[in-house]
Amino acid sequence: MHIFCIFAIPLLMMLGALGINNIRVLGRLNAFGYAVILGYAAFLAYTLKQPLVLFNFFYIDALSAFFLFVIALVTSAAALFSIEYIAKDLAAGAFSQKKAKGYYLLFNLFSLSMFFVPVVNNLGMVWVGIELTTLASAFLVGFYNNKASLEAAWKYIIICSVGIIFALFGTIIFYYTASHHAGINSLNWTDMAAGAKNLNANIVKIAFLFILVGYGTKAGLAPMHTWLPDAHSQAISPVSAMLSGVLLKTALYAILRFNVITNICVGSQYTSRLFILFGLISLGVACLFLLVQKHIKRFFAYSSIEHVGIISVGFGIGGSLGFYAALLHIFNHAVTKSLLFFAAADVVKKYKKDNMHIIKGVVNALPFTGIMLVLGMFAIAGMPPFSIFFSELLILIAGFSKGAYAVSSLLLLFIVVIFGAIIFHLSQILFGKKPQDMPVGREAASSKLAFIILMICMCVVGFRVPAFLHSLISLAAAVLMKV
Amino acid sequence: MHTYIFLLGILVMTYFMMMVKRLPALINGFRWQSLFLFLLTLLLAKREADGALYVVAGLIFLLKVVLVPYFLLRIVKRIKVNENLGFFMNPQLSLLSGLLLTYLSYLFTFKVMLLADRMQSVSFALSLCVTLMGLFIMIFRMKAVVQIVGLLVMENGLFLTAVTMCGGMPFIVELSTFLDIFISVIILGVFVYRINTLFTHIDVNKLDSLRG
Repeated sequence: MHIFCIFAIPLLMMLGALGINNIRVLGRLNAFGYAVILGYAAFLAYTLKQPLVLFNFFYIDALSAFFLFVIALVTSAAALFSIEYIAKDLAAGAFSQKKAKGYYLLFNLFSLSMFFVPVVNNLGMVWVGIELTTLASAFLVGFYNNKASLEAAWKYIIICSVGIIFALFGTIIFYYTASHHAGINSLNWTDMAAGAKNLNANIVKIAFLFILVGYGTKAGLAPMHTWLPDAHSQAISPVSAMLSGVLLKTALYAILRFNVITNICVGSQYTSRLFILFGLISLGVACLFLLVQKHIKRFFAYSSIEHVGIISVGFGIGGSLGFYAALLHIFNHAVTKSLLFFAAADVVKKYKKDNMHIIKGVVNALPFTGIMLVLGMFAIAGMPPFSIFFSELLILIAGFSKGAYAVSSLLLLFIVVIFGAIIFHLSQILFGKKPQDMPVGREAASSKLAFIILMICMCVVGFRVPAFLHSLISLAAAVLMKV
Repeated sequence: MHTYIFLLGILVMTYFMMMVKRLPALINGFRWQSLFLFLLTLLLAKREADGALYVVAGLIFLLKVVLVPYFLLRIVKRIKVNENLGFFMNPQLSLLSGLLLTYLSYLFTFKVMLLADRMQSVSFALSLCVTLMGLFIMIFRMKAVVQIVGLLVMENGLFLTAVTMCGGMPFIVELSTFLDIFISVIILGVFVYRINTLFTHIDVNKLDSLRG
């Protein structure tokens, strides 16, 4: 029943956004609501022993609970960060009060659609949910309504819609072989996974290709990634964090569900090769662009492509360790990248510039955010003791122990080059003096809290995966291993 | 027999849309294509005596034949933009590419997919090529409205697959996809208005400030 609370709260908050006029109060209420959601999601994940089926429509197993938890974590951090961000933008006259209320309305709609994706059983409804995430976030990408953000929003919605049409094509082909060859007249994942052995192997292979390309567009896999840097850099910053942190992951979730069916039907080698191929292409593309990118939010956007690539390679390597490591990396990347987008938002607001080579002396100008930005960049580059290092290492271990030497070496090479790129850009930001006339900035307590929560997640998981998360991810990996 | 006529109608209308030079003609082409899709769905609904398919057919008629074309034509009229599509590839070459895409879909269906039923193979090849031609229209024309139409053509191809091969998807999915499509057309329409106000044109090839 907790799942209904998770749906009810954003709906209530949407009503609140319509009714309440004081933006700061609205923001606080919103953040409180998402804290409750996070509690429910954690409780659901913690108590889930058996897959939960409601009305034959919702189906929640460990994999769903894991994604739900990650989405809840990132959205609640974003809600917390939004309070000051929106209030300040409003005070600075970047948009009207009506528009600020619209922001909270769309924010809730967006997160509602993301909560919907991992808990429905019907793969057609998963598609509907993912399409809704695009529609709900399109206005948030084009929120500032200037030329650049409109361009980004248009590209975002068009490219993702095309991608997602191919995904629906794949879904229909899956349904065709299910109804014709296995006699399954439903699109429910449970039914299809149960009867997957009877599907036509040839058709399933073609259908999975459509699914991977289609949802892969939304997940930011290269070469279908072209919308991603634009949308991430132009979106309003708390939303950039949500796009990068969890939106990409919901699309990956959809691919994983089909991956299970395909693996049962044709064996894991086929999907594993495809995952590795797209993962390595993404890493290569991201690697090239990261070396030369100076725009701070675009830089983090390309870094998201890199990490989606790493996750994809992790799924490709597979095995219980590979799946475990990839899922852990999803969590780590969501947390770290959200922190970075928040920090970038504060820095850009302070300096009114987004070129990393012009922004100097961040730590002096913004002592708290600056330190968070620097630590976050070390973390995203894969420095110990942060969590990203740990999950990247696990993926590499899984790869080498499975004998995928070429793939693992390539992965290692890309990670090393990107490490160099990130440290190079970081040194530009870190050193140098802040402009003389710039006052030292202070952050509001709510924003600091958002940073601290995310930072704790990064550090704790880096030292030792907490028992709760460990068992959740292990169970989720077991769902993926189902044969 | 009727099935083949309607399938042919859909294909011919798609070729027509590859050739046309002006926006209203393109939108009307889409309307005719949807009409053939509607007739085909109605025929199948009657043949299988399937109540849900009747509803789907009704929705196709209401949304794709009436509402969406009306909405798009209104946008074109309201923004008072030059009605030419803006070609990256001239109509003759586009038609040739369309024929090539048809042949490739045919090859893909009969050499790779290997469906047992001949009728289903034909309709699959057809819907695949309609989808691809929709994508082609999106890529090789300049105006933003054309991209919306291209998206809708792709979706028509998709519905064709669902209807002819699976007898429609589960009802709730079908319903929600229709709703989704309708919302997305409206949202895209809003963006076209905004782009037109801000840029004073709707040529998507000129939206190129974000790079690298």
